[in-house]
Amino acid sequence: MGLIFIRTTIIFIALLAIMRLMGKRQIGEMQPYELVITLIISELACIPMEDNSIPLLYGIIAILTVFLLHQIVCVIDLKVTAAKPIISGTPSIVLNKNGVDDSQLKKNNLNVSDLIESLRVEGYFALDAIEYALYEAEGAFSALPKKNFAQLQTSLPIILINEGKFDMKNVEKTGKNTAYYLDVLQRNGCKDEKKVLIMTVDGDGKVYLQKKGERYKVFRLDWQSTLW
Amino acid sequence: MIRTIVSIFITLGLILGVSFYESKCVDRAFDELRATFETLQEKAELGTATYNDGVAARSFWDKKKETLHFWLPHSALQEIDFQLNEAIGFLSLDDNEGALPKIEVLIGLTDAIPHSYNFDVKNIF
Repeated sequence: MGLIFIRTTIIFIALLAIMRLMGKRQIGEMQPYELVITLIISELACIPMEDNSIPLLYGIIAILTVFLLHQIVCVIDLKVTAAKPIISGTPSIVLNKNGVDDSQLKKNNLNVSDLIESLRVEGYFALDAIEYALYEAEGAFSALPKKNFAQLQTSLPIILINEGKFDMKNVEKTGKNTAYYLDVLQRNGCKDEKKVLIMTVDGDGKVYLQKKGERYKVFRLDWQSTLW
Repeated sequence: MIRTIVSIFITLGLILGVSFYESKCVDRAFDELRATFETLQEKAELGTATYNDGVAARSFWDKKKETLHFWLPHSALQEIDFQLNEAIGFLSLDDNEGALPKIEVLIGLTDAIPHSYNFDVKNIF
């Protein structure tokens, strides 16, 4: 039984480390150690149940070990401040007053389109309508909208350039071509699309443009009518 | 918080207690079994081991097996059943020489099986 205890502990620690390394994306609204417990506890219960050559005690001891580790991690999480970032991770500010923080996104194995998708799930469609956006330690997403965010998202923005590449389908949806948008970029101090982290446009012609490593800017295109 | 800490100590105590008891129980059972098989081996070497000696060893093993099933995988214990029945087969034919290698294997198993489940680094990995 001592063996089972040690082996379960090793597997628990290894899984926890892997979950932390995989990042918030893999977790989905649970603390990493909670997900690890969810992953292993069902297997621990099933193996001695279905294989009657394995003593039931093997499963019971392993489950007790997981319970023990859970309680220990809970106590450490609550009482040892320095251990919390190691065990559970820390929230990442992926969007701030300067716009999208690409380095934070990359740390979490995310890209700008993932961020936009998460914002949409939370009911925010325009990047400029958000003051701050965070990926919480357990993988959930939270955002602080600007006071007038309702006025800032009157039409659905679509991605024109994502991390240096045109989204040709969306470019076609606007009824323009890449040459038109390259001209827009040049007028805004950007040589070509490769320097652009994200560029979106909504149906009213409002553009959100952020160059890599720079603050975002918002401007309007001189469209004659609302396109969508 | 107090309840959590208490539950940690109770669970830890339970696991350590069961582990300690298991270790003692398994070691004692296999020590006694080894002594039984060694007696049988001595008799077989002298050519005086009988079918009844083999059956007595099996009865002893069956009793031990009842508690060992709580602690060890049943497949590990089946090997002893298999070897012991073969040894008894030879003894029923008064073939002490034929039974000797089987008894030798049984003695080896009484060492190998508990060592496979002992608290040891090589067993952890």
